[in-house]
Amino acid sequence: MTFFQRKKKKAASPKEEKVVNKEEFLTKIEQAKQELEEADAENKTSYLNKIGSLYLEIEDYDQAITYYEASISEKQVMGKAFADLTKLYNFKRKEASEQNDKEKVQYYLAKSDELIKLTKDTIRGNM
Amino acid sequence: MSVLNFIIESILTQAAITIGLIAFVGLLLQRKQFGEVMSGSFKTMLGFMVLSAGSAIIVDSLTYFGEIFTEAFGMQGIVPSIEAINGQAMNNLGLGNQIALTFLAIFIFNIIIARITKWKYIFLTGQAILWMATMTIIFGSAAGFSGITLILFGGLIGGIFAVAMPAIAQPIVRKITGSDDIALGHFCTVGYLFGAGVAKIIGKGSKSIEDIKFPKGLGFLSDTYLSVAFIMVPLYVITAAFAGAEFTSQLSGDVNFIVHAFLQAVQFVVGVYVLLSGVRLLLAEIVPAFRGIALKVVPNAKPALDCPVLFPYAPNAVTAGFVTTTIGTIIAMFILPLFGLAMILPGMLTNFFAGGTAGIFMNAVGGRRGVLIGGIAHGIFITLLPALLVPYFNDLGFINATATDVDTVSAGLLIKWFVEPIMNIFN
Repeated sequence: MTFFQRKKKKAASPKEEKVVNKEEFLTKIEQAKQELEEADAENKTSYLNKIGSLYLEIEDYDQAITYYEASISEKQVMGKAFADLTKLYNFKRKEASEQNDKEKVQYYLAKSDELIKLTKDTIRGNM
Repeated sequence: MSVLNFIIESILTQAAITIGLIAFVGLLLQRKQFGEVMSGSFKTMLGFMVLSAGSAIIVDSLTYFGEIFTEAFGMQGIVPSIEAINGQAMNNLGLGNQIALTFLAIFIFNIIIARITKWKYIFLTGQAILWMATMTIIFGSAAGFSGITLILFGGLIGGIFAVAMPAIAQPIVRKITGSDDIALGHFCTVGYLFGAGVAKIIGKGSKSIEDIKFPKGLGFLSDTYLSVAFIMVPLYVITAAFAGAEFTSQLSGDVNFIVHAFLQAVQFVVGVYVLLSGVRLLLAEIVPAFRGIALKVVPNAKPALDCPVLFPYAPNAVTAGFVTTTIGTIIAMFILPLFGLAMILPGMLTNFFAGGTAGIFMNAVGGRRGVLIGGIAHGIFITLLPALLVPYFNDLGFINATATDVDTVSAGLLIKWFVEPIMNIFN
């Protein structure tokens, strides 16, 4: 069986550089969170998307999902939140498959189904 | 022995029971609780019965439409509806059992092919697999296959399509999504690539369509039932008017012939509504069970998801692709009869989802000029292929309908043109 092939990617970049980058990203995230608190309703989704995308960069998938989901429930705009969430649910589903966690596999597949349905509804509303 | 015969001949030949048993096995494999296994199996069986009821409503309405259309225009008017084809195959042709088993076989062949080859695509759109099972069984059976070989044949062809279609779309999907994580699982891929091919030639250097703002108000056409009604109601009413009161009144009885035509069109929508409710019930238990297994057996699986997965990447291209594809289908509706082919009425739902997705493909390779010209070509293409199937469907006893989803149509044509002649040599 060829499980656990995901590790290759991580080995590619030097560890130290990654730590520095991660700290940089975490600072950016904190900044964005502060800006989010002060943001008016209009700009809220763009900050939520920004934070989601920064968490995705540092591979904190759970946090990325939380912020992107918050963005979509705030305002459904076709774009980055929808696109990245599909990928994130797939990462999480893959992780669950590797851990042989059947319930989680079904959970993220169902999440993916819901997102596709929401995409259909949103594009209807936007047209 | 007689009990065994009874089970094999009288129970297992009933498609509703077969499909219920498939769900039963799937739920057992997931180690669900007894109550869930029983309710899931029952709901699946119920789904099949609801599907059959929907199909009967559609057939009644299409029979009426066929009569008035021939009277009005002296030719056959064909409604593109894979739902109608599936319903008629399951009920009128008695292929329900084989289709149910082939549905399962396609899943299994998909897993095997993905497991042993480098193409790790797992097709997760259950409804599309049901349509593919329908087409491979209709044409496999017509080619002379029967029994277990028919199911294995249908499963193999469907399994190959389930891996090959996401695989051939992937280079453009990768360009659209910027990654290789997600694939497209929608059996309209041949059309997307055709549209993209035209767009690439025509649209070199053209700017992206995402910079254009589109007028709003077309969203209702993506609603399954409204989009069907949007075409069917005017179509039935106009056809009844052309057929005239004298002829149409024979069918409408005491009701005014125009009002009757209107109600018949609504009946068609009701049939689609009921049939699709049945399909949803039918797939709700089976699909999660088997896709969970598939993704476990193929560790590096690339999930091939339904077409809306691409919509967030280019929402304007969806609208543009829908509009240009619809123009193409209307052009094809009038042109194809000049070449001796049947008149295929535009299918707005296919135009929306297939046209919209084709729009994203065409925009990615040919920008706005690509979407405009490629979309019209795509519309003509997805009307031409189903038109080529019409004579075969007529021979098999289907009433005024042809398939949509060009990959399933291509599977049907390939079997008809290449497999059937080979089978004839041996028979």
